[in-house]
Order: sequence, then structure tokens, then C-alpha cells
Amino acid sequence: MLELAIGIILGGCALGAGAAMIAGIGPGIGEGNAVAKACEAIGRQPECKGDVTTTMLMGCAVAETTGLYALVIAILLIFLAPGRFVDILLNAIH
Amino acid sequence: MSKRRSASFILVDVLLILMILLPLFCGMVIKILTTPPTDEISIAGAQIYFIVPMPLQDMPITESQVNSWLVILSLLGVCLYLTHGLSPTYETRRQHFAEMIVEATDNMVNSNMGAYFKAFSPFICAIMALSAFSSLLTLIGLYPPTSDLNVVGGWALLVFFLITYYKFKCGPIHYLKSFAEPPALTPLNVISEIATPISMAFRHYGNVLSGSVISVLLAAALGGLSVTLFGNLPGILGKLPQVFPILRVGIPAILSLYFDIFSGCLQAFIFAMLTMLYVAGAFPAEDYARKMEKIKNKNKKTN
Amino acid sequence: MGNLEVISINFWNIVISLCNLLLIFLIVKKFLYAPVHKMLAERKAKIDGDYTAAAKAKADAEAQEAAYRQKLDGAKEEADALIKAAVADADRRSDEILSEAKEKADGILRRAETEADLEMKKAEEGIKTEIVGVSAALAEKLLGREIHEADHRVLIDDFLSEVGNSDDQRK
Repeated sequence: MLELAIGIILGGCALGAGAAMIAGIGPGIGEGNAVAKACEAIGRQPECKGDVTTTMLMGCAVAETTGLYALVIAILLIFLAPGRFVDILLNAIH
Repeated sequence: MSKRRSASFILVDVLLILMILLPLFCGMVIKILTTPPTDEISIAGAQIYFIVPMPLQDMPITESQVNSWLVILSLLGVCLYLTHGLSPTYETRRQHFAEMIVEATDNMVNSNMGAYFKAFSPFICAIMALSAFSSLLTLIGLYPPTSDLNVVGGWALLVFFLITYYKFKCGPIHYLKSFAEPPALTPLNVISEIATPISMAFRHYGNVLSGSVISVLLAAALGGLSVTLFGNLPGILGKLPQVFPILRVGIPAILSLYFDIFSGCLQAFIFAMLTMLYVAGAFPAEDYARKMEKIKNKNKKTN
Repeated sequence: MGNLEVISINFWNIVISLCNLLLIFLIVKKFLYAPVHKMLAERKAKIDGDYTAAAKAKADAEAQEAAYRQKLDGAKEEADALIKAAVADADRRSDEILSEAKEKADGILRRAETEADLEMKKAEEGIKTEIVGVSAALAEKLLGREIHEADHRVLIDDFLSEVGNSDDQRK
């Protein structure tokens, strides 16, 4: 029984981490949009290349934040949560 | 242009170069001596060297702290080396470099924050240098301090203090009023105020950590792949990949180029850029100018 | 000693890294920015000094040039005056010389005329006496007798005056 419970905990954490990383889609689309617009802008005004590139990188980095939150949650679920949850389970049993 | 330098000048130069390189070398030696030999590849936080008992919470002195200090020592050497033998007329390559750094950051601060924040350019330069060099430590195999949440958390906290300080410039009433800008959104404003340092810290930390996680995963995958590909070779050749995973040579360097060099420098730049934008945005320039005008008028009246 | 967790928050570590950032800020400010800004200020002062020195030198040169130009203009005027004076002198002298020469020439001409008149008178006298002699001889021969000069004086004079008149008319 205990093994099954621990297995469920581990599997749940892994599934949760995987599900959290779905959030990677958002920044991907957003950054793709940003880069596309930046390319258009550079194509229209090649002399503004430096400014456009800097702004685009800034925007990309800010847009990436949500993806990184998801990454942090996933890392928490993989590295920290199983141990904590198993501890809680063992404490509850004893 | 070529002016002969005295022997003492060259000696100081050599000492300064040693001051730049020695901390990095020391870090490598400490890393080799303290890392326990393991076969498995693991993703873990910074190694704890010793724990200092402190009130509130024990203070572990970890790899990230030690590496930060080594980077600071090395950067001190860089600063001293760049400014050694500075003269208004005789220009060396390193002097050009030092001037370039100073003028570039001055220009950046001036264009992003305005002339009022002129004194910020050494701070921005310091953030950039510390962040970039901390991330670049992975190139010589050391643990990058920026992949420790506490380190970037501390920097973000300092930036948060600066933001709050500049918001307080017009007095506490103005500070509290700035949260109730549209009164309905007050809770959201408070949350976004708190979220600023957290998002800055997590952004930097997550970028560097994701780089190292992917590097570790790729290294593990390449090790397994080399065993499966070359493990069936006859004789000693078949055992070689288990001792020395041949596919790990060279291939991770391509990812390292992006994750360690590009991403590290980019995150340093972005951290500095966001610092500038947040601090400059926090300062209510017009209200402050009005307040100063009022004070000036009052002084005139009393005089 | 083991490792930290991948995500762990430790208050003292945060404080340490905050202090680290302040420390590197002070280092960069004191050891990179202060010397470079000082050097830039020195260079600026030096360049400004050079510029002011150059401007001063230029002003000096311009002043000198203006002085030279003034002097040059003065010299030109002087030269013009000298030339004018010389020309006037020369004109005066040439006028003098011309008038002298004219006087001289006039004198010579008058003398020549008087001489020519004298010569003519002499020649007329001579011709007169010759003509008187010839005509007396011709008349003696023609009349066969001696003509007394005293008798026919009147006749001869008339004739001669006629000849002289016709000479005058011919002139």
C-alpha cells in the first residue's frame, strides 16, 4: 500500500511538472510575435536595427517570465515536492 | 605611441593579472577538492562548505557565496588593471577599453534614466559585471552564483529598496497615494509592487538554472547514447564509453555557447536594464520638481 | 557537507549577496569610475587649455596681420604720393625743357630769318648795283652814248622799283 501511495505521489509530481511546462507555449508564441514584428521593423527601417534589437530582447526577456515561473514550479515539483509529500505521508501514517 | 615602460610598471601589471586569474584558479582548486566523486549526474543546488550558526536562521556558506567573492576579487583586479597607468595624453589599449566601458554605461544611464540619475552608472556597471561574470563562471566549470535564488534574490531586494527609496522622495503620503492610482486596482498595485523584485530574481535565476539543467540533461543523454552506440564494440573498445563517454566531447559546447555565454550576458544586460527602468519609473520627477519649487519659494519667503 | 536544495531561500545568504552587490558597486565606483572620470576631466581641461591657447595664438596672429596690412596700406599710399610727386616734377621739368627748347628754336628761327633778310637785302643791293651797271652799259650801247648816271637816276629807280614790285608780287 505504501509503495503504491509513494508511486502515486511521484507520478503526480511528474505529471504536474509536465503540465506546468505547458505554460512554455505562451512565451513561445509571444516571443515569436515580438521577433516577427522586430524583423518587420528592421526591414522597414534598417537604420534602427540597434534600438529595435535591444527593445526586442528586453521584451522577449520580460515575456519569458511566465515561462520561467512555470519552469520554477516544475523544478519545485520534481526536486522538492516528492520528498516533502512523502514526509507528510509517513508522518500521517506514524 | 610606444613608450617604454619601467620595470616596476610591468611588475605591477603582472601582479594585477595574477590578481585577476588567481581567484578563478583558487575556485577551480576548491571545486576539485570539495566535490565528492560521483558517477551519477545530479541536479542540485550549491554545495555547502560550512554552516555558521546565526539568529533567525543558520547561515550556510556555500559555493555561491564563495564564488561571488572570488568574482568580486577578480573584478577588483580587472578595475585596477584597466586603470593602471591612466594618463590624459598617453593612451593604451586598456585605457581605451576602460573609457569605452565608462562612457557606454554613462550614455546608457543617461538615455534610459535621465541626467538626474547620473550617479547610477557605476551601480549599473557593477550589476552587469557581477551578473555576467557570475554566469560566465560555468565556462571554467564552477558553480554559477546566479543559479542560486538567494544571490539574485539579494540583488533584486536591493533594487526593490532603491525603487521604494525613490518612491519615498515625495514623502510617505505621496508614496501611499501612488498605490491607489485607480482606487479600484489598489490590491493589484500592491501585488505588482511586490512582484517586481520576485519576477526579476526568478527571471535571472530561472534562465541560468534552466541552462544548467538542460546542459546536465544533455550530458546525461550523450553519456547514455555513447554507451548504447559504442558499447557493443569488441574488447576494450566496448568498455571505453562507460569510462569516457566519447559523445560528450564537443557537442555540449554548442548549447553552452547559447546558455552560458549568450544567455548569461543577455540576462546581465536585462537585469541592469530593468533596474534602470524600474528605478527611473519609480521616481515621480514632476511631483518632485514641484515640491522642490515649493521649498525654494518657502526659503525665499523666510529670507 | 551536502548541497542546498535547488530552490531554497536563506535570509542570511540574501543579505550576503545584497552586501556583495554593494561592495562591487563601491569597487567599481572607486577603482574604475573615479580614475577614469578624473582622467577624462584632466583631458578635458588640457584640451580646453589647448583650445584657448590656440585661440589666443590665432588672435595674436590676426592682430599682427592687421598691423602688417595697415603698414602695407601706408606704404602703398606713400609710394603713390611719391610717384605722383615724381610725375608732377617730371611734367614740370618736361614743360620747362619744352618751353626752353621752343624759345631756343624761336630764337634760332628769328636769327635765321633776320640773317636771311640781311642776305636778301645784300643780294638785292648787289643785284641792284649789277643791274644798274648792266642796264647803264646796255643803254650806252643802245643809245650810243654815255648815260649819265645822275641824269637818269630817276628812270632807273622807277624801273628798279617795278622789278622789286614784281618780285614782291611773285612772293
